[in-house]
Amino acid sequence: MNAPARFVTEKGQPLYGITAEFATPAAVYHAAETIRDAGYRAWDVYAPFPIHGIDEAMGIKRTKLPLIVGAAAAVGVLLGYLLQWWGSNVGYQTVVQGKPFGSVTEGGWESFVPITFEVGVLLGSFATLIGMLALNGLPRHHHPLMKKDRFLRTSDDLFMICIESKDEKFDPDRVKELLKSAGGTNLDLVEDK
Amino acid sequence: MTQVASDAAGGPGFARSPWAARFPAMRAENISLPAGAGGALSGGLVLVGLGASVATLVMPMIGEAFKWKHAIASFHVGAITALTMSLGALFFCMVFHLVNAGWSVTVRRQFENVASLVWVGLALVTVSVMLSVWKGGEGLWSWMGMERGENYLLDKKSAYLNTPFFLLRLAIYAVVWLMLAGLMNFFSRKGDAEGGTEAAARARLVSAPGMLAFALTVAFAGFDWLKSIDFGFFSTMWGVYFFAGSAFVSVATVTMILAFLRRSGRLEGVVTVEHFHDLGKLMFAFCVFWAYIAFFQYFLIWYANIPEETAYYIHRKQGGWENLTTLLMIGHFVVPFLILIQRGVKRNPTLLIAMAFWLIFMQVMDIFWMVRPAVYAGAPADAVPGATALPLDVLGILGPVALFFGLLIRKVVSSPLVPLHDPRMGEALTHKNYV
Amino acid sequence: MSALHPDESTAQRLAAGALPPRGSPAPGTGDGTLIDTPGVRSPLVLNNRSFGEVTNIICGYTENPPGRWWLPVFGLTSTIAGIGTLMILYLIITGVGTWGLTNQVDWAWDITNFVFWIGIGHAGTLISAILCLFKQKWRTAVNRAAEAMTIFAVICAATYPGIHVGRAWMAWFMFPLPNANAIWPNFKSPLLWDLFAVSTYGTVSLLFWYMGMIPDLATLRDRADLRLRKFASGPVLSPLLPIRIDRIRAYAYGFLSLGWRFSSRHWHRYEAAYLMLAGMSTPLVLSVHSIVSTDFATAQLPGWHTTIFPPYFVAGAIFGGFAMVLLLLIPCRELYPNMKDFVTLRHLENMAKILLVTGMMVGFAYSMEFFIAWYGANKFEQDVFVYRATGPYWWAYWAMISCNVLSPQVFWIKALRQSPLVIFIVSVFITIGMWFERFVIIVSSLHRAWLPGEWHMFYPTLVDILIFVGTFGIFTTLFLLFLRVIPVFAMAELKAVMPQADPHGHHDDDHHHGHGEVHAPKGGH
Repeated sequence: MNAPARFVTEKGQPLYGITAEFATPAAVYHAAETIRDAGYRAWDVYAPFPIHGIDEAMGIKRTKLPLIVGAAAAVGVLLGYLLQWWGSNVGYQTVVQGKPFGSVTEGGWESFVPITFEVGVLLGSFATLIGMLALNGLPRHHHPLMKKDRFLRTSDDLFMICIESKDEKFDPDRVKELLKSAGGTNLDLVEDK
Repeated sequence: MTQVASDAAGGPGFARSPWAARFPAMRAENISLPAGAGGALSGGLVLVGLGASVATLVMPMIGEAFKWKHAIASFHVGAITALTMSLGALFFCMVFHLVNAGWSVTVRRQFENVASLVWVGLALVTVSVMLSVWKGGEGLWSWMGMERGENYLLDKKSAYLNTPFFLLRLAIYAVVWLMLAGLMNFFSRKGDAEGGTEAAARARLVSAPGMLAFALTVAFAGFDWLKSIDFGFFSTMWGVYFFAGSAFVSVATVTMILAFLRRSGRLEGVVTVEHFHDLGKLMFAFCVFWAYIAFFQYFLIWYANIPEETAYYIHRKQGGWENLTTLLMIGHFVVPFLILIQRGVKRNPTLLIAMAFWLIFMQVMDIFWMVRPAVYAGAPADAVPGATALPLDVLGILGPVALFFGLLIRKVVSSPLVPLHDPRMGEALTHKNYV
Repeated sequence: MSALHPDESTAQRLAAGALPPRGSPAPGTGDGTLIDTPGVRSPLVLNNRSFGEVTNIICGYTENPPGRWWLPVFGLTSTIAGIGTLMILYLIITGVGTWGLTNQVDWAWDITNFVFWIGIGHAGTLISAILCLFKQKWRTAVNRAAEAMTIFAVICAATYPGIHVGRAWMAWFMFPLPNANAIWPNFKSPLLWDLFAVSTYGTVSLLFWYMGMIPDLATLRDRADLRLRKFASGPVLSPLLPIRIDRIRAYAYGFLSLGWRFSSRHWHRYEAAYLMLAGMSTPLVLSVHSIVSTDFATAQLPGWHTTIFPPYFVAGAIFGGFAMVLLLLIPCRELYPNMKDFVTLRHLENMAKILLVTGMMVGFAYSMEFFIAWYGANKFEQDVFVYRATGPYWWAYWAMISCNVLSPQVFWIKALRQSPLVIFIVSVFITIGMWFERFVIIVSSLHRAWLPGEWHMFYPTLVDILIFVGTFGIFTTLFLLFLRVIPVFAMAELKAVMPQADPHGHHDDDHHHGHGEVHAPKGGH
């Protein structure tokens, strides 16, 4: 911690955030709308599966991932074509069945279509997985929330909202009040350690 | 229960719809057009269509410069374009029923409307077939005027390629398609009148064997009306190729209808941006599918380089036709691919109208590419007319297509814009693409 | 309105917060699985399961000891796999002469088996990608197993190109790698496209499978972690090596799940990524078998060169792959407790319908080939097709036709396509038929080409047979291991399609209208 923590728990540990539990997707969905409308930014909904429409309820902007994937696929298409063009025209010229060596300008590009496509898809797919993980800040094997036994149940059937202390609007009492009024139960302080 | 749904807005069919009570968007004025709407446009298009068609087919009688074969070919391009719209729509009607699709209920009526006009395409194709039969060797199918023993390949194929059988097949296709399109519309209108789930279940029952009949007839119709123009050429993929184009153009047509209906203030909250998104996806998917089929058909023939197959493509890669081939590659695949892959475009009905126009034009070009180069194949260079023949091409294509759209507008206006009572309507009205 | 739709009873039970006794559902609905009325959706998960029960059941498959059947079956399959592997070693040491290949029939079982397995591998991606794009919610119950099957089938398939080159240690020459001879591969060869297609396919399928698994692995991690925190002791690896199994689980699943913590901001990108992978896998899966088909279709050999091969191979691959999915899932359904709640009769019926459709597509392609062979007026082409049906390999041809085209026709009858036993039997036939299809294409075209002096029959050797049988051993062994260590169902996806997952109540049609508008019950059921 470079800067001193804005909030500490009774044990003197910096505060990561405050969590509240919800029993159903509908409850957490409506709570998310409330918190979005209250103007918080650093907060999250934890759910065992993607709840339909929760992005809208939380006010999440659409991800930029498609652009990354598109760019990677385009690079793949280009690399795939260049590999073949170079291999057939420069690296090792071979005449096969009297066909041209192969290039867009001089004909014979047809033979290059399958591999060009495959390499494009290959790079695009890697970019999808790696891009998704990178944008999500994963892999990250330690997280303050994971210290909480109850939190681990969000991978089973529990729904949770955590408002983080780094939010500019964060104020412990008001946050607790908000979470309670939104229907949250078992409010808990999460220490940042 | 004889009340049919062509009632004016607010008729009994509307009132009984259980959905009207639950979804305000299902109010009668939102899901129907007043009788006679678009009458001027429709009438104008029909007149233009008839005029252009007649002009095309009269020109060869007047001027020596206009060849019968050319006139019929141009007219045939327009006729086949109109036919493929209906065939693709018929396919989608049956698929929607077969897979019990929920989202598509609010758009299905327009597919049914387009499919029900299969008689127009059939009638137009019959005209070009009959004219060719009448003109024999001067007609579009040169083999119709050839004698036995004149050509080895034709002799081998004569059990299939002979005029009586050709006409018989036309009749078989016509019966199958008219019946299927008729049944799809019949059950849909029956659902409008009666409600309940019976009609939808029946439509599904018909669709399963219907799809089998459809697949076979479409494939052979493609062989007959497009492939056999060049009787030396053969390709097992041809039926799929013909189908791919049909599916593609029918989605474009329906998207265009729906987008125009939305612009005229109808279908508010019924056909939403989510439906346009899905229609856009279908356009995108079939644009890729068409490219896949078209590419592999060409690719395998190009690679194996067997003379009797390659001739077809060689002819389309020289003499100026290579420009059309390039246009198809770029305009039928690359451009729509790059545009339609974007989410924003698929969710913008105005842009989709532009795309739909473009795609219909590309379907015309695709059929043109199949038919037109055959007209002067093998003719000496000085016998090939340049721009002088342009009126034939423009009028010939414009005629059938304008006629089709004119009749389509009348059809769209004539009944409620959605199947009123479809049991899956609720799903369609609340349809949402979450990702 | 007398009967209650199962989804509604689930919702009511969950709304009440209490678990009513698990009695039989309302009379007249059965369990609701086979409802066929348009507008009524059959439940995807039976027995009114809650999220917690779903987690417990599915994680239980990997956490609890397997049934008594598992070990003997595993012993059998791994023995077969071992024999196959030994035979592959023997082949590599001795050379491809140990196969029954001849000068004329120089491709036979090797490529038949390659195409057979790679075809089977297509169903997984079809289910995960194409059905995902079509928003077919029922896919969630079968996609994990099908994707696993894909990977294992690709492994079996990929063996063959490697070993059939003869000098297997030179197989790296297939890749475009710089080498001392300054030789680059022939990029104009279908065999090289095939290499790229299959390896891309294998890689992307693995990525897709893995990405779908991340949340479920995290669930297993959390459960192991919770047990470690709660209980001071638990099962250990062995008395000599007292490491708690849950600790191994927590570390292994923890490592693989990359710290996934079920954040909705993560889910948002995850769903977008999943959709994009599905979007790329769909053309990929079409391209792979299309490219496999170019191995044959670009040649000028009669019977091989036909333009319909790409889509025909794809349809056949889906056909054979679905049959294999059913062959694996139907026994699993019987052997694992509660699996019938997730893989319902409706799932099986849907897959039976896909078998019927793709079987007829394949039949369509067979008839087009025959018709065009005649219509093309090429003597050689015509004769090859006549030989196929009436020549020395007539039995292979008619086995193919009867298994692939005729046997699925029983699915026109509702009662038969809803019977797991019938579906299983037909799937066996289809698997046999699809093997024969590749055999017919490859061997029957090669054995009668051009000059009568080149006409030869192909007779498989023991090595041929045992390697093929061995790949079945490898395939089933890997699948049995999969059942033990990986969540067999995509839990997160399965939960998302359960009725109680809808944040706007369980009625599909109340989505937008949940806020102050009408809340009428759906008519018709």
